[in-house]
Amino acid sequence: MSEKLTRTQLKNLERFGGVNPADQPPSRRQFISQLGGYAAAAGVAVGGGILLRDPWGMEGVKPPPPVRLKDYSVSLPPSRPSLVVVRTRPIRAAEYASRDEELRAREDQAFAMIQAALEAMGGVSQFIRKGDVVVLKPNVAFDKNPDLGATTQPDTVAAVTKLCLGAGARKVIVADNPINNPESCFFKTKVGEAAVRAGAELMLPKESYFEELYIGGETITQTWRMFYRPFREATKVIGISPVKDHNLCKATVTLKNWYGLLGNPRNQFHQNIHGIISDFALMMKPTLVIADGRKLLMRNGPTGGSLNDVKPGDTMVVGTDHTAVDSWCVSRLLEKPRHEILYLDKVIERRLGQDWRPQWTQEITV
Amino acid sequence: MVQIRRAYEALFLGLFLFFLLITDLRYLKGWPVSLFLEATPLVAVATALTTHTIYRNLVWGLVIIAITLMLGRVWCNWMCPFGILHHLFGIIGNRRNTKQMIEVNRYRKIYAIKYYILAAMLAMAALWMIPTAIDAPGRIWQVYQGTELRQTGISRVLAAIGTGLAQAAEDHKEGNATLQIGLLDPIALTVRSMTTSVLPTVNKATESVYTEPREYWQAWVVGLLFLGFLFANWWIPRFFCRAICPLGALLGIFSRFALWRIDRDPVRCTDCDLCLKSCEGASDPQADLRKSECFVCLNCIEDCPHDALSFRFLPRKASEVTNPAVGRRELVLAGLFGLAFFPMARLSGGVRKNFSRYVIRPPGSVAEDEFLRRCIKCDQCIRVCPTNVLQPAMFEAGLEGLWTPIMISKMGWCELNCTLCSQVCPTGAIREISIAEKLGIGPFEGKGPIKTGTAFYNHGRCLPWAMDTSCVVCEEVCPVSPKAIFTRNVEVTDRWGATIELKRPYIDPVKCIGCGICEHECPVKDDPAVYVTAIGETRDKNRSLLLSLVDGQGQDWVSI
Repeated sequence: MSEKLTRTQLKNLERFGGVNPADQPPSRRQFISQLGGYAAAAGVAVGGGILLRDPWGMEGVKPPPPVRLKDYSVSLPPSRPSLVVVRTRPIRAAEYASRDEELRAREDQAFAMIQAALEAMGGVSQFIRKGDVVVLKPNVAFDKNPDLGATTQPDTVAAVTKLCLGAGARKVIVADNPINNPESCFFKTKVGEAAVRAGAELMLPKESYFEELYIGGETITQTWRMFYRPFREATKVIGISPVKDHNLCKATVTLKNWYGLLGNPRNQFHQNIHGIISDFALMMKPTLVIADGRKLLMRNGPTGGSLNDVKPGDTMVVGTDHTAVDSWCVSRLLEKPRHEILYLDKVIERRLGQDWRPQWTQEITV
Repeated sequence: MVQIRRAYEALFLGLFLFFLLITDLRYLKGWPVSLFLEATPLVAVATALTTHTIYRNLVWGLVIIAITLMLGRVWCNWMCPFGILHHLFGIIGNRRNTKQMIEVNRYRKIYAIKYYILAAMLAMAALWMIPTAIDAPGRIWQVYQGTELRQTGISRVLAAIGTGLAQAAEDHKEGNATLQIGLLDPIALTVRSMTTSVLPTVNKATESVYTEPREYWQAWVVGLLFLGFLFANWWIPRFFCRAICPLGALLGIFSRFALWRIDRDPVRCTDCDLCLKSCEGASDPQADLRKSECFVCLNCIEDCPHDALSFRFLPRKASEVTNPAVGRRELVLAGLFGLAFFPMARLSGGVRKNFSRYVIRPPGSVAEDEFLRRCIKCDQCIRVCPTNVLQPAMFEAGLEGLWTPIMISKMGWCELNCTLCSQVCPTGAIREISIAEKLGIGPFEGKGPIKTGTAFYNHGRCLPWAMDTSCVVCEEVCPVSPKAIFTRNVEVTDRWGATIELKRPYIDPVKCIGCGICEHECPVKDDPAVYVTAIGETRDKNRSLLLSLVDGQGQDWVSI
C-alpha cells in the first residue's frame, strides 16, 4: 500500500494484522475451482443448449412414426371351407329350472357352435397355436342389456376365450373403445364379466393406449388414432360382432365392428361411412371373425332399445374373410337387399375381400 | 465505467424501441425485430423444459447465459430494456436525500420472492418429469429387451437408459406442461405492454404509430400492470428487478459462477455506506457482496470516496455471498405450488374438452397444447398484425391462455396474403409459414390451405335470409378462389305481396379458411350474421369438421 492511509484505514489494516486480504492474489485452489466451475457450468449450459437446439423449428412437434398393424390372417388348406354357418335350435327359458341354468346352456351352445364351425374349418389349432396372444374385439359400443341385441353376446365372448385358452393361447385380451362410457358398457353388456370369468384380460381404452396408425386407404389416406395397446403383443385377432341394423350404413356386422378400435374424431366417419368401412378391410386382416346371429337387431339400429326390434336367429357365422361373412349375414339374416350395402361392393371392387359366393361355404347344424 | 454503462443502456433501450416501432408491415423488411425476445435466457430455458427443444434463434439466450456466467447479471443493468426503463423511472421519481437513498438500497428479505416465482413457473413447465419418472423404468427395460439397440453389456445398459428416458419424456410432454414465464419475463412483459397498451395510447395523442388507430381487448389490465411496476420504483427502486423478475432470478443463479465481481477492500473501506447511495441491485456492496443480486451497474465504484471498491477478477471467496439467499422451505413450497396449480388450471376446461369457439389462433399456430407450451404472451404477433384482428385473450383459452393471441373478427380479419405473425414469433407457437403454405398452393396443393376456423350464418340476423333485403357483402369480400361463400337465388313474396328476388348466402366449409373478413364486413355490426368459430381449424385433427379435410392434412405438414 503505497498511498497514504487515513487513521480509520490504518486501524483497519492493524485489525488484519498488517496485511490487506484484498491484496492477496487468488490462491491456486480458488483459481482452479472457480475457473473449473465456470467452465463446467458454461459447458453444460451451452452444450446442453446446442444439443437441444432446433434450427428447423419444428423438431418439437414432429409426430412419432405411425404404427402399423400386422397381418393376423391364417391361410386355410384348400380342402377346408372359409365360411361356416352353424345353425342350432332355440333355447327356451321354460325348459330350464333357473335363469342361471339357462345362461349356462346358452354359453354351452355358443361354445358348441363355434367349436363345430372351427372343426369344419380344420380345428382350433388351425387358428390358435400354443403361446399365442389373442385379441378379441367384441362390439360393446352401447351400455345396453345384451338381450337388446345391440352388442356382442357375453356368452359368445366367454366361449371364444375358453376355446383360445384351451388351444394353448398364452393370453386373451378383450378390448373395445365403445361410444358410451367404457366401464358402463363392459358392465351392462355383461361382456366384461363374461370375459374375466372365462380367463381373459379386459383392456379398457385409456388416452395413453392410443397411437397413430398408418392406414393409407381411400377415406383415411394417411393415419388415424387407434386403440393400439392391445395389439402391441397380439399374434392373433378375432372379431366377434352382433348382427344388426344401422341407420346410415344399413348393416353392422364384422367389418363395421373394427370402427370401435379407432379414436376421435371418428364421428366424422359418418360423412363417408361406406368409404371408411371399406378401409377397415385394408386396415385389419383378422385371424377369424364371428358374426353372432343368435339375436338379430332388425331395426332401429345400431342402438336398438326394444325387445320388439330383436328377432331370434339361432345362427353363428364364422369365417376368415369379414367381407364374405358380412355379405352372408345381411341378406340371409338381416333380410336386407344386398345391393344396399355399398361398403361391401367397395371392398370387393378394391379387391380387399370376396363375396361369400365364389368361396367355399358350408352350413352345419348342431 | 458508469459512462460506458449509460451508453450501453441508451443503446439497448434505443434498439429495443427501434425494433418495437419497425415491427410493422411498412418498415419490417428483414430486421431481426424479435431479437430481445429471443435473447432472454428465461425463454430458452423454459421452452427447453416444455418443448424439449430450443427453437431457432432462442440460442441467443445461451450467449446471455455465457456472459452472466462470466460477469454476473450485466444483462439487468446494461441490456434489459425493462431494467433500463426502471432505472430511468427511478431517477425521474427520486426525491430522497443521500441518507434515505442509502437506506432504501439496503437488501431486504422480500427480494427473494423472485426466486420463488421462478421456481413455481419452472415447476409448471416441468410437470412432465413426474409421469416420465414413473414410466421410465418400464421403458428402459423395454428398450433393453427390445431389438432396436445394437450394443451389448454395459454400453447397452447406458444406451437403454438414454433411449428409454428420451422416449418416456417425449411421450409425456404433451398435456403435462405449461409455459407461464411470459407473464413476468421482462421482455415479454414489455413488448406486450407496449403493443397492447402504450403504443395505442401514444398513437391516440400523436397519430404517429399506426395509419388506423388500434384497439386491444381489455388491454387496460396490461397497461395498468406495466404502469404499476414502473411507479413502484418510487416506493422501492428497481422493485420489479429486485423482487419480481424471474429472469433476474435465473441470472442470479447463473451469476454464482461469475469470475469477475465487485470487491470491497476491507482496509480502505471506512464503512460510510455511500456505495449504497446508487446501488441498483441492493446487493450489499458495503459488506460481503450478494453476488446473485448485483446488477454490475458499477455505481458503487463511482460513489466510493476511498476507492475501496473495484470490479475484480477472482476476488476472495470469503467476502461474497455466493448463492441467492432463499429459504429452502419456501422454494420447495413454491415448486409444489407450480406443480399443483398447473393441473388445476388445465383441468378447469377450456383447452381440451370445453375448448372455446372464440379461441381462433392465427394461421401457422401449432396445436393448442403445444401452443400453450410455446407461447410466451409477448404479443409480438399482435404488434405486427396489420389489421388489428389479433387480440390478447382474456380467459377464452383458459387461465393459461391469458394474453395469448386470438383473432376477434369484429376487430379485423386475417389478411389473405400475409404471414407476418408467423415470421416474428420468437418461440414457434406460430411456426413460420410461407404464403404458398398458407394458401395451399404450389408444393402444398395436395394439403390444402391452412384453416383457422369456419364461418357460419345466423339466418335470423342475415338481411337476405331474414329481412327480405339484398346484401351479400360477405360474398363480395370472401378472398379465396373459388369463393367459400356462394349464393342461391330465391324468389320470395314480401309483406306487401310483391315478388322479389334475393341472393341468399351459403358457406362451403371445404373452401372456408376462417379468415373472418365476412364477419368483419357484415353490416349487422354488433352481432354479425356471419361469424367464424374455431371448428375446422387445420392445426389439430381433433378440431376438424370435415372428414374429407381432416385426413391427410392433420399435422402432416411436418413431412414437407
